[in-house]
Amino acid sequence: MTAKRDVSLTVNGVAYSASVEPRMTLVDLLRGELGLTGTHVGCEHGVCGACTILLNGQAVRSCIMLAVQADGAELMTVEGLSEDGQLHPIQQAFVGQRGLQCGFCTPGFLMSVYELLQHNPAPGDDEIKEALGGELCRCTGYQSILRSVRDAAARLRGEVPAAATEGEA
Amino acid sequence: MTPDLPKSLSDLPVTAPKWVGKPVNRIEDPMLVTGRVEFIDNLTMPGMLHCAILHSPYPHAKINGIDVTAAESLPGVVAIVTGEDAERWSRVGYTSPEGWGTHCMATDKVRFAGEPVAAVAAVSRYVAEDALELIDVDYEPLPVIVDAHAALEPDSPRIFEEHDSNVMYQRDFKWGDVDGAFAAADHTYTERFRWHRVGANPIETFGVISQWNPISETLTCHGSFQTPAFMALGRAAMHRLPTNKVRAIGQPHGGSFGGKGGGRGIDITALLSRKAGGQPVKWIEDRLEYLSAGGGQAWDRFYEASLAVNDDGTVTGLRVKLLDDLGATGEGFGATGAAKPMASFTGCYAIPNAEYDLTIVATNKLPASPYRGMGPPPHNFVLEQMMDIAARDLGVDPAEFRCRNFIPSDQFPYTIASGNEYDSGDYDAAMKKLLEMADYDALRAEQEQARSEGRLRGIGIVSTIEPGVFDWNAYAVIGQKGVGVPEGVSVSIGNTGKIIVRVGFPLEGQGQYTVAAQLLADYFAVDIGDVEVVAQDSLSAPTNFGPGGSRLAVALTGAVLGAAGKIRDKFVRVAAKLFEVQPEDIELMDGKLRVRGVAGGAQLTVGQAAGILIHRTDLLPDGMEPGAEATFVWSSPDRVPPDDDGRVKSYLTAAYACHLVVVDVDPETGKTEILKYVIVDDCGTRLNPANVEGMIDGAVAQGVGAALLEEYVYDEDGQLLTGTFMDYLLPTIHEVPATEKAALVTPSPFTPLGAKGAGESAIHTTPAAIMCAINDALLPLATRATEVPATPNRLWTLLQAAKQP
Repeated sequence: MTAKRDVSLTVNGVAYSASVEPRMTLVDLLRGELGLTGTHVGCEHGVCGACTILLNGQAVRSCIMLAVQADGAELMTVEGLSEDGQLHPIQQAFVGQRGLQCGFCTPGFLMSVYELLQHNPAPGDDEIKEALGGELCRCTGYQSILRSVRDAAARLRGEVPAAATEGEA
Repeated sequence: MTPDLPKSLSDLPVTAPKWVGKPVNRIEDPMLVTGRVEFIDNLTMPGMLHCAILHSPYPHAKINGIDVTAAESLPGVVAIVTGEDAERWSRVGYTSPEGWGTHCMATDKVRFAGEPVAAVAAVSRYVAEDALELIDVDYEPLPVIVDAHAALEPDSPRIFEEHDSNVMYQRDFKWGDVDGAFAAADHTYTERFRWHRVGANPIETFGVISQWNPISETLTCHGSFQTPAFMALGRAAMHRLPTNKVRAIGQPHGGSFGGKGGGRGIDITALLSRKAGGQPVKWIEDRLEYLSAGGGQAWDRFYEASLAVNDDGTVTGLRVKLLDDLGATGEGFGATGAAKPMASFTGCYAIPNAEYDLTIVATNKLPASPYRGMGPPPHNFVLEQMMDIAARDLGVDPAEFRCRNFIPSDQFPYTIASGNEYDSGDYDAAMKKLLEMADYDALRAEQEQARSEGRLRGIGIVSTIEPGVFDWNAYAVIGQKGVGVPEGVSVSIGNTGKIIVRVGFPLEGQGQYTVAAQLLADYFAVDIGDVEVVAQDSLSAPTNFGPGGSRLAVALTGAVLGAAGKIRDKFVRVAAKLFEVQPEDIELMDGKLRVRGVAGGAQLTVGQAAGILIHRTDLLPDGMEPGAEATFVWSSPDRVPPDDDGRVKSYLTAAYACHLVVVDVDPETGKTEILKYVIVDDCGTRLNPANVEGMIDGAVAQGVGAALLEEYVYDEDGQLLTGTFMDYLLPTIHEVPATEKAALVTPSPFTPLGAKGAGESAIHTTPAAIMCAINDALLPLATRATEVPATPNRLWTLLQAAKQP
């Protein structure tokens, strides 16, 4: 074990500081030390994308980054999407279009979609696929995720969402 | 006794169902999209330790000794267990076939690379993994067997010395006069096929927190259990505990697909907790562990199949010879996958004579696990290739050839050669609809055009069965005991009309909680938000099994409607007393209890009736038990053990699907591109059509993976070469095609509301369909792809060979 180092960072607008071993991964800091368990771990080698978060606005894999590398950064996780119990339009779209089944990969998808729609409010299907090509989902077959992203983009553009299923979120 | 369960949606006590049969949004989802669901790794407990497991690097080796002293002295390490502890405190694992099991950690020798050898509980996972590096194991390597055929040789090194060979199971099933059929046939066709290992790979791996209580001598396990009650039963047997001393709490989990695994992980953490004096011990399997040592490998198969066909295209006989490489042990129910094809052995076809020559062999690979579909997907791949081979030789269109052999719609219920009974269906109608939707004639014309331009365009058309609502009797032939798979729920209604339904299975992804809520919302005419679904642990829940074998929606419907019916019966008697009429004069309709045929008369709401049962016991009929609650346990009716020939009426329902796939195979690279994908399926009444469609889409993706991408590769030394997601390739959003879908609805006459099992879905069909399309594409080159997955490398090799003069 090496001496611990101090890390200060902002997550979802809240300032945190922690003392961590240099080898601690960023996702272990978020989940284990800060209690932000909405970000999930699926492979720990940077392929599945379940652990995707935003670091200074950019989607990154928190399982293959060290906590010390995030010192001074502004992070956003799935916990930062909804406000006052209201689902974010991207979350509403995923509920309404069935963009999830087991929901384990979903936080990673949501963060990648958030990043995409920040830069590109009206992405075509190819652009959506390009943005989500590094996120694995084993349940949905991705078709409903594609629909969800189209729907989320429309919602964020202020358009009336496409007629969804019963009990619309 | 089975009460009178509603047989169709119109039998529900509402004028028009508002929830059941509709694509209702899932009540599970708001919690999931906000990251607020308690997956196992989110859970922590006071004093909790973290486990890391030492896995054998050798596929076959004697263990001469294990030295843990250095690891024990590492600060932060609390307990270490090895095979010695496993021998002292637990048993050899249950297997089917019987007698091919080991302890949860190796004792005398290891049988596969990845087998647990020791485990550490420490204050953090980091420290626990540090400690693994300090454990010294003295291995003496033994000869390794990875080739299933070589493992059959009499002089092959033996995986289990107590057996006189590596053959775990051998039986030649014959149904009808199969030899006569082949002797009399105008044509016979034979081909060999190879299906390589694939597996479930849910995005969440397995995880558990076990706590041994040394005072009460009880074991409590939280975990990502697909079937908590069944897991608890296994742990009780394993740790020699009374069944009421093991509490399994199923956390919501990130997918399972039959391949969550976890038996060894629970047992190892239980031993660690015991050794640590009762501190809880958490183990979260990492992905490398899942791939190399978890529940993720299934179906390692060598097939030889033959078809007997007459000039008119009638198939009269099917022979399938299977060598199934189960890996090192018989643990984890992997062998059930070799038995299940008998539930739909002859597919959608009326083939009266059949033979299944089944051999299961042990090798030094990871023990195989179940995976969505539980065995038929490779069998269906084989059967559908054979249908195409015969059709081509006879010059009959593959769709037409299938139609000539379909079980006619007026012959249901229909008993197939291997003994299972199909409940209902109209295969001709599904095929007709499929060809219309796809504009089949135009596709063939385009194919001709493409071929003339030198492109390798192929069209695959297949039809398959999805056996639904499994029963243990399906696996009796390979040593599984029992008949019936009871599923129970309890329902209670409060005095404000709010409903609670208690189930025994955790959240897993199929939307079953929504289905339970839909059913109760319609039954008692409340809003779906007025129904709360509560998952109970294995000591609290009614008798249950949970999801598996495409059963839960049907079984849950039976259980929920049974419990609701019992409550209704109490309500009716309460209302009859109050209104001073006979119970048979009272009906429940649209949430009101009222006198039949009397418009505008007195009525009682569900909440009022429940309130009387809870707070006005003075108003109850004599002898009535207070409380508006009931438990009901449902199981498939009319199941018995197999006959002497292994024939058995096992799975209750037979959903079916026809798929049409168009592909281009790149002549230069061997890469397959899916251009069009059309599906017609029929799973009876759709309780929540959006749930069903989601499962179809997801199963298509898994089928695409199995057909084109996914493969566990072992080298000749028994080392896994595909131990990461960079080597074991799951389909991404780029590889999975959009599908055009249509549904037929032929209700099951045997299930509540007529629903059929639908959860395994397209994985039964997609690999067969894609492989048929690829072989149609390869037709001009007179070569055939018989190995799955049909990776670019495999197809390129075939293409190169075909180009040789």
